[in-house]
Amino acid sequence: MSNNVKIKSRKADIDDTKYSMDTHIIYGKDVSDKWDYSHHVTAPISSSTTFRLDSVERGAQGFTQFAHTEEFGEHAPIFIYDRLGEPNKDMLEENLAYVEKGEMAVSFSSGMAAISGVLGILTVAGDEIISHNTLYGCTISLLKNWYPRYNIKWNPIDLTIPENIFNALTEKTRVVYFETPSNPNLDIIDIAAVRKIVDQINKSRGDKNKVYIVIDNTFSTPYCQRPIEFGADFVVHSLTKGIGGFGTDMGGAVIGKKKFRDILHLIRKDFGGVLSAKNAWSILTYGLPSLALRQKQQIKTAMQIAEFLNSNSKVEFVNYPGLPNFRGYETARKQMVDFSGNFAPGALIYFVIKGNTPAESKDNGRKFMDYVADNAYTMTLAVSLGHTRTLVEHPASMTHSVVPPEELANRGIDAGGIRIAIGLENPDDLLLDLDEALKSI
Amino acid sequence: MGFSTDAIHAGQIPDPTTGAVITPIYQTSTYAQDALGVNKGYEYGRTHNLTREALEKNIAALEKGKYGIAFASGLAAIQSILGLVKSGDHIIATENVYGGTYRLMELIFKDYGLEFSWVDTSNVVKIRKAVRPNTKLIYIETPTNPMLRLTDLRTVKGICKKYDLISVVDNTFMTPYFQKPLLFGIDVVLHSTTKYINGHSDVIGGIVITNNPKIHERIRYLQNAIGAVPSPFDCWLTLRATKTLAVRMKQHNENAKRIAKFLSENPKVKKVIYPGLRNHPHYSLAKRQMSGYGGMITADFGDLKSAKKVLNRVKVFTLGESLGGVESLISHPASMTHASIPKREREKLGITEGLIRFSVGIEDVEDLIADIEHALK
Repeated sequence: MSNNVKIKSRKADIDDTKYSMDTHIIYGKDVSDKWDYSHHVTAPISSSTTFRLDSVERGAQGFTQFAHTEEFGEHAPIFIYDRLGEPNKDMLEENLAYVEKGEMAVSFSSGMAAISGVLGILTVAGDEIISHNTLYGCTISLLKNWYPRYNIKWNPIDLTIPENIFNALTEKTRVVYFETPSNPNLDIIDIAAVRKIVDQINKSRGDKNKVYIVIDNTFSTPYCQRPIEFGADFVVHSLTKGIGGFGTDMGGAVIGKKKFRDILHLIRKDFGGVLSAKNAWSILTYGLPSLALRQKQQIKTAMQIAEFLNSNSKVEFVNYPGLPNFRGYETARKQMVDFSGNFAPGALIYFVIKGNTPAESKDNGRKFMDYVADNAYTMTLAVSLGHTRTLVEHPASMTHSVVPPEELANRGIDAGGIRIAIGLENPDDLLLDLDEALKSI
Repeated sequence: MGFSTDAIHAGQIPDPTTGAVITPIYQTSTYAQDALGVNKGYEYGRTHNLTREALEKNIAALEKGKYGIAFASGLAAIQSILGLVKSGDHIIATENVYGGTYRLMELIFKDYGLEFSWVDTSNVVKIRKAVRPNTKLIYIETPTNPMLRLTDLRTVKGICKKYDLISVVDNTFMTPYFQKPLLFGIDVVLHSTTKYINGHSDVIGGIVITNNPKIHERIRYLQNAIGAVPSPFDCWLTLRATKTLAVRMKQHNENAKRIAKFLSENPKVKKVIYPGLRNHPHYSLAKRQMSGYGGMITADFGDLKSAKKVLNRVKVFTLGESLGGVESLISHPASMTHASIPKREREKLGITEGLIRFSVGIEDVEDLIADIEHALK
């Protein structure tokens, strides 16, 4: 094969829009201006840090065109250097954009690199970020420990009441940031309601001081919720979780409008949080194509587990979007829907074990988790989620350890709260281990 | 092109669709076909794989061969060689070859009607005497494993020409960096790429190289029909390793020369076998057909007890099978690599209980010498 051979791609003439999302994420885009892997049923693993340039002129063209879509159009079929872009990442990005109903996606080396990437392009010194009270611990750490250095102010509020935005808003507000469901307590935030309020605010603002909505959709995965459909400007993901799905590879992504692709490429290039091609390949080859099947199974199991916990006398309360008695149930029903429109309440459960005092409740939680660590076959005491294995963790001392004990209540976290991320085990086996663990208290 | 240039460039053109300088890992089991019977020359992963092709071309170039056919292991490569002969045919093979080669031939393929003569091929008279009317192939290891005896490749070529035999050389110990059998007129070279060629003890692989189109066609057919193909990822790792083969071999050689000298001077060592030592019986042949002496040393410590002491006391050398890795390995042929050879046969070959095989790595040689010195105290 030489560069001049025009390969006829099998699917070039097929209109892929008439097919369902489940199918699309298996096929993705194997032909573009930059690559043609229609011939390889599975794409090759890109393993080159650098790319041959035909001539100095073409090299210069590549550098000039990179991240300059406006001047040169989207078609810049020149790969230069892995950190700027290579086929595996690009293929993954095409699929992620499609599945999240966004115009484009830019991948990053981790979920945190994606979050700091999108917040990095939306804010400058002096700006403010409004967020929900409860967030993933490292996101809190980013906003609380690092952004003051750059004079970017963090303003956490209760976004389950979207109107609270009006009170927190200042001229300097640039971003409304949240997770729904939130990590770890699964607060549900009404995306459409936030959109409405932000639209109202933006009416009197120009392009330069507009407020953007950024949603971390890691807990739901695009299978359960596509926030852009409800008005999010940007979706961020830790691809390490439900999308990657097997617990083998780190990754992150930002999905949003096309006009932000260039600047996201630039921040990725200069800050360097670039996704490894090999990780992109596994997420593209194993993670996304099996997302729908895995999520379907995990939701089914999560529902069973949540109901079991909900009716167990040792459990104080259970937060799971699929339980009708959960405070976010109605909003969840509206916005957490699968590719076919069915209610898809996700694979995470948060619960608290009873105790006469908060200290006793915390102690019981610890006993439960220690029992799991020592005796459970189907549950593993470990951080992360969206794995094939069910993972149990204690947010107050693990994922959210950045939050000091006296701050926990403000961040919506119970001292004895337990987070379960459902895996692909047989649900009966999980129930068996859970039952034994609860009986041990 | 020079060796190092070929190692870095041969077979590795930038990926046609993206320009990627390093060959991608073509991790696909099947290929989309344009129409029934119309494809781009790639149909199925066992038959064709682009990463594997790149590796085959690369190592073939290093051996000065036209064709390379890669396998899942060195033994899979050797098995394919046996597909060049038929039931009733006779093979002359070097005695004291790698134990696995002996096992494959004597304990498995003998049952399929192949005849084997185990001959000291370092002696041309003995080879000639072993030729029978049904002899079809001569299988050579030079230097041998673990006795490091050498066979004169020019002589073998002459005999093969006279009797119309196929000559095969296992070049695992020397690698093409120090010895290129095809240049001596040998028909087929093979490798356990697991050893020096990959060199990092993280891949199992093998390869067959030839200039003969007929042999290539047959081995290629067998590669697909038998199916012992290497994975694309293993090919990619091996391709990465050939790029440093020259620098690694230089260091293996330097270190081994120093250690062989050290062992020769130690009174506790009964005998040291290394082709680079003047007292090696084939020293002048080594100088003639090899451009270095490699990283393998065999030494006799007298008895099992003394050998065990060394094997158990070394700290930098790791007790383990295999060889050719960047890390130094030490092994006991009688109970490890050559255990499949009956004791009587073993002793006839000189593989005594006191024998230790050193695969000298590329660590600082002072550390390696100190390690052995300490073990001998």
